[in-house]
Amino acid sequence: MASAEVLAPIDPPSAESPRRRGGLSPFARYMLVRIGLVIPMLWVLVTMVFLLMRVIGDPVTAAQGGRLNAEQIAERKAEAGLDRPLLTQYWEYISGLLRGDFGTTLTDHRSISGIIVEYGAATLELSFWALIVAFAVGIPLGRLAARYRDRLPDVLLRLFAIFIYAAPVFFVGLLLKLAFTPFGWPSSGRASTQTDLILDNVHPHTNIMIVDALLWGDPKIILEVLQYAVLPAFALGLLTGGVFLRLVRINLLQTLRMDYVTAARARGVSERRVVRKHAMRNALVPVVTVMGMQIALLLAGAVLTETTFEWKGIGYMLTQYLKARDFLAVQGIVTAIAVVVCVASVVIDAIIALVDPRVRF
Amino acid sequence: MRIFRRGIALIAVSALAGVTLAACGQSKDSDTADSGAGLVVGTTDKVVSIDPAGAYDNGSMTVQTQVYQYLLNFPAGSTELTPDAASKCDFDTPTTYVCTIKPGLKFANGNDLTASDVAFSFKRIVDINDPNGPASLLGNMKSVEATDDSTVTFTLNAENDQTFGQILVTSAGPIVDEETYPADKVMDDAAAVKAQGFSGPYTIGKYTKGQIAQFKANADYDGAYNKAKTKEITLTTYSDANNLKLDVQNGKIDVAWRSLTPTDIASLGKSDKVKVHKGAGGELRYIVFNMKTMPGDNDAQKLAIRQAMASSLDREELSTQVYKGTYTPAYSAVPQGQTGAVESFKDKYGDKPDKAAAKKLLDDAGVKTPVDIKLQYNTDHYGSSSTEEYNMVKRQLEDSGLFTVDLQSTEYVTYSEERVKDAYPMFQLGWFPDFPDADNYVTPFFAPNNFLQSHYNFAGDDNPVPEMTALLKSEATDPDKDSRIATLKKIQDLVADQIPILPLLTGAQVAVGGTDVEGLEETLDPAFKFRFTSLSKS
Repeated sequence: MASAEVLAPIDPPSAESPRRRGGLSPFARYMLVRIGLVIPMLWVLVTMVFLLMRVIGDPVTAAQGGRLNAEQIAERKAEAGLDRPLLTQYWEYISGLLRGDFGTTLTDHRSISGIIVEYGAATLELSFWALIVAFAVGIPLGRLAARYRDRLPDVLLRLFAIFIYAAPVFFVGLLLKLAFTPFGWPSSGRASTQTDLILDNVHPHTNIMIVDALLWGDPKIILEVLQYAVLPAFALGLLTGGVFLRLVRINLLQTLRMDYVTAARARGVSERRVVRKHAMRNALVPVVTVMGMQIALLLAGAVLTETTFEWKGIGYMLTQYLKARDFLAVQGIVTAIAVVVCVASVVIDAIIALVDPRVRF
Repeated sequence: MRIFRRGIALIAVSALAGVTLAACGQSKDSDTADSGAGLVVGTTDKVVSIDPAGAYDNGSMTVQTQVYQYLLNFPAGSTELTPDAASKCDFDTPTTYVCTIKPGLKFANGNDLTASDVAFSFKRIVDINDPNGPASLLGNMKSVEATDDSTVTFTLNAENDQTFGQILVTSAGPIVDEETYPADKVMDDAAAVKAQGFSGPYTIGKYTKGQIAQFKANADYDGAYNKAKTKEITLTTYSDANNLKLDVQNGKIDVAWRSLTPTDIASLGKSDKVKVHKGAGGELRYIVFNMKTMPGDNDAQKLAIRQAMASSLDREELSTQVYKGTYTPAYSAVPQGQTGAVESFKDKYGDKPDKAAAKKLLDDAGVKTPVDIKLQYNTDHYGSSSTEEYNMVKRQLEDSGLFTVDLQSTEYVTYSEERVKDAYPMFQLGWFPDFPDADNYVTPFFAPNNFLQSHYNFAGDDNPVPEMTALLKSEATDPDKDSRIATLKKIQDLVADQIPILPLLTGAQVAVGGTDVEGLEETLDPAFKFRFTSLSKS
């Protein structure tokens, strides 16, 4: 019941609290503190990733061992800077990160920053579609479950929510593929090969397929891109959709018991309007909070979804480099994911601060 | 709440703008854009590098076959060496092999292809010596130089190497442009595509590593293959064989080339939407015996155990039950279809398990039964079907009542390191040939310093087998075809007598294509070159 903690009453803003201190608004100060807290969090994360990648062994031997002799391994270690003292390596890694340089992969000598940008766009797109599915499934069904509380639709929907939340992403993905591919529904990739090549001509090329398709402007291609996104979006989105469903249901039920809702009913406001205009909006605030936490879950799910559906995003690349035992690439990608989760949590905090009047700056 | 409303409004406006953009945007004619996919081939093979100096793998070879010329090559359906960039190649002296380059050859970037480019291509492979590269194939090349604009001279270490011509067609043979490829390092894929140092039947248009390679017919190509039947072919890469299968079945791609699972191939064989094409096999799956650590108190007992195992296996069952016919029984180190191949194991041990014969072999050598065997196999390199394969091997051996088998599986990186440290008494290996010649199935395995490192004829005085060494030397340098074939038979018979390895299965090449795809059978020949030039859609 994380939502209950979030909803715990917080002192209302004091009327006497200064609007500005030192030229900054309370919100700006609040955000500065949040951002300030993120920096040590990121530092700890990055340091942990760096150390863990060293603890599991020497990356060059892991990636190339068995094919190189001791001399060649030493040569490659020197090339990658892995023969230097740990602190030197650490400093170079941190200073590289600050410059946006995540290093170079060991197995195919590609810029990790380039990989993150190129493939991260695909993961961003998948996460976007998955969130749409999660909202589309979680919010209306949660509302429906609350409306029929403890009756058959509620029981069925709660079971459904547990199933889609608990079922592994790759299992749901496999079921979706088995169900839809016999009808010719595309089950792998982000578009057909033909479309992939066409969209390569789009300038600027964003690697976000739907944006590139919109820029190209051919409705057939837009529809095709949407069609390819359906199964992966459902496989990943249902995971979060299940959480949203249960969250909306319980929050709506709690909100409907509050005094202001009783007052609205007493004034003769219709039940439908009470739910839609008065209760539903407040019930959705915790969804935003949980959405922040779900980003980490989405990214973890994206690794499995992308592998299942050949959706070539950052999660797909992570599995490829893990298979190749390219731990420098893994280190860079995991760091990037950690940064995204941290930044997303700050953004969500900002949104909550803006939409929830109970949050005091 | 206002923020929510604004957010929803923003999304709605964005969506509307998108749809409007789509509706109002000038609709392009996709077919006329510089973007044709043409015929689409799917594969699970990864392309390690387009640059030949950095690749010695099937995925890279598929790309290199299309875009580079070789001095000699195998046209579709042939295993006879045919001039490609060279007009002729032959021995000048026992240790000098000379090739004359065709006049007027050019790379796609307009640079001339000369003898200097050829010498450069071979030199840099050896100099760079990349761990993923094919430098080991050029072990017999002492030096190479362009003696004039059209003549390349290879100086060899060993005399009369009958396989050197074949080496020129392997991963070590692509000719690159001296003016654009670096001499001392592997060129990355993006730079290779930009350089267009290609003179093969196709050039590369668009290329995204690990995803898509678009091949465009090279109008100036003058080589051993026929002219490209399809102007544009796209190679798309999958990580999951199941997705490859679904896409070829649903017509999303035209051809699935390497590597579908045996179950998927059997399933696709029943579909009327696609056709399964099988070509000559070449891949060998076998068990290696470590002569030091395998069970047995002395060499005679060890030999008896190996021979008893050979008498107890049913390869036909492995072929039909595990591999659904995609692999066929192998009764020799040299697979059937190769010149000089015989079935020595079948002649000596039969093709069905013979418990009585196996028992006699063990009894005669004084081996106590059941013999405890520790057998290693691997799945991440040799495929998930290895589990089923080796469980069946275990069952077959134990059914004889003469063996108890302890199966163990290890991840490949560890596996490849441990097997050469005598950690495994018996273990699975597989072999995919570099070139279509019987020598490639015997010399790397049984010559001194062989790659098996299982203490059979290894490192000079470590269990030397002078008879085998002499036969191999004779076979590799004998210019007379008939006497060479006779020597190859003796080698295979000796392998069946001594059993340093126990051949189990040989794999057919399998490609699955739409019913409208033509040319697959033509290119699935023993040369193991998947030539896009043969493919077309009716």
